[in-house]
Amino acid sequence: MKRLETLKVLTSPAVIFVFILFVYMLFVYISMSIPVFQWEGLDIYLKNIWHASENPSEEYYGLAAAIWGSVYTSVIAVFIALPLSIAYSIFVNDYAPARIKNLVIILSDVMAGLPTIIYGIWGAFVLVPFLREWVMLPLYRELSYVPFFSYPPVSGYSYLSAGILLGIMVTPFASAIIREAYGSVPQIYREAAYALGFTKYESTRLIVGLIRPAIISGILLAFGRAIGETVAVSLVIGNTFNISMGLFSPGYTISSLIANQFGNAFIYKHMTSALFAGGLALFVIGTVVNITGLLYLKRWKKNVKF
Amino acid sequence: MLNFRKIKDKLFLTFIFFGAFIALFPLFHIIFTLIIKGMPVIISRGTMFFTGTLSQGGIGPAIVGTFILAFLSSLIGIPIAFLVGLYIYEYPDSKVSEFVRGLLQIMLEFPTILVGVFVMDILVIPMGTYSALAGAFALAIIMMPYVSVYTAEAMRNIPYTYREASFSLGLNCFKTAFRILVPIAKRGIFTGILIAIAKVAGETAPLLFTAGGLYEIYPHGISAPVGAIPLLIYTLIQSPSSTDHATAWGASLVLLLVFIGVFIPIRLSLKEVKL
Repeated sequence: MKRLETLKVLTSPAVIFVFILFVYMLFVYISMSIPVFQWEGLDIYLKNIWHASENPSEEYYGLAAAIWGSVYTSVIAVFIALPLSIAYSIFVNDYAPARIKNLVIILSDVMAGLPTIIYGIWGAFVLVPFLREWVMLPLYRELSYVPFFSYPPVSGYSYLSAGILLGIMVTPFASAIIREAYGSVPQIYREAAYALGFTKYESTRLIVGLIRPAIISGILLAFGRAIGETVAVSLVIGNTFNISMGLFSPGYTISSLIANQFGNAFIYKHMTSALFAGGLALFVIGTVVNITGLLYLKRWKKNVKF
Repeated sequence: MLNFRKIKDKLFLTFIFFGAFIALFPLFHIIFTLIIKGMPVIISRGTMFFTGTLSQGGIGPAIVGTFILAFLSSLIGIPIAFLVGLYIYEYPDSKVSEFVRGLLQIMLEFPTILVGVFVMDILVIPMGTYSALAGAFALAIIMMPYVSVYTAEAMRNIPYTYREASFSLGLNCFKTAFRILVPIAKRGIFTGILIAIAKVAGETAPLLFTAGGLYEIYPHGISAPVGAIPLLIYTLIQSPSSTDHATAWGASLVLLLVFIGVFIPIRLSLKEVKL
């Protein structure tokens, strides 16, 4: 009996190390946030203000704009990723010719793994000018009475640019999950649908309905990815403290705020702590969204057996 | 009525083809843009681009930095992650395993910037300087879940009879794992390691506040600052100078080629990869 435990003795420390690392990380974020909570209470999350000052008593920080920007851009990303990843998954499983099927899957996987800075440079120098010229300016000219389009697209760096870039980046993640789930539905369901006289559209809708939990899971995980993404977003969002529904308005996200400000935050008394509070918010939102997504996926894998 | 259904069907097919096309189109456009913008830079600067310092128009120190970071982070991350992977494989039904599996999944999805800020707090501030060590530690945290998940997965794919045969020969758990199962699964484990390295070599956010950046001289020690290709690109994009932008395009092309060069062979040798 004793001898069987050698492996456990060897591997347990590694497991404990990973566990402690995670708990320690959470601990650091909480303990570093405490000073700013003591300084201004919940205002750190509720107000949109960023007042850095050499005089600590004048410092005041509110992350509302960054939180809004993170959520808003991630929601845009999900709205883009949802139809694209479903269309892609159906294409791969039902319509892609056998020869290119594998290629189409590999391309999507390459997109999932591509360094995010490459999306960033492409987004900043190619996507943003394109969107400004061909999407934002026309919409602003013709439809500026619609609240979403009412903000003048001065630079093009905006929620919309960030949301679209994030949408492109997270589509492969959602696709990977939806593609697999869609492919796992046996052909017999489709045959049954055809036998009842369903069209291609109607039978596909039936199958998409069957894999709904997997779709929800894919979308939640995509949202989790989008909200944590840093460098690509910070290059296209404009980095301005703004709370606006206007899609063309520049903004901030929590992660881009940290990326921009953390380097010189130590000059001020409370800024580091304020940024850690932002990190804590990101930590909590990201973990909750991802756990929910993973639970959906687990439930889908456990309960749905065709 | 029938006609209406047919129209709907046509619309549906259009949506599928168009959607799938749009989902993949950015990749082609990105590759195309990087070649168009990056190739002339690399060609006009020649080998200087790969060996020179930033003011000479090269990214030599960043390339070396990326290799140092990839190597160091592997050194820190892989052994731990491998053992964690063994643990989840060996004790799949225990509560701890279930918990660790969940934890690894969360770490896979975890915002990488938070890892960077965390490491800055626990390593950079106590050491008083940005360092290759801090950068590598941040990357090691990010690479661990990949290696663990792939290790456990590769081991699980080995038929159970190998285990039983080994036990029946009188080998214990430890010897069974290291002498029999790991050698059989080494291909899968190696794949996980390569994917993890490809992943961290392209990471920017965790290095922002840990590696520090070093582009005018070559790296000179693990407790000194170090640069990396992605980090350099991020810095250069934010510069107003068009020379810097040109260097950024060239560096991006290099990064893309390195990534594709590592990723495609792994991917082709496998049926399905989860990232």
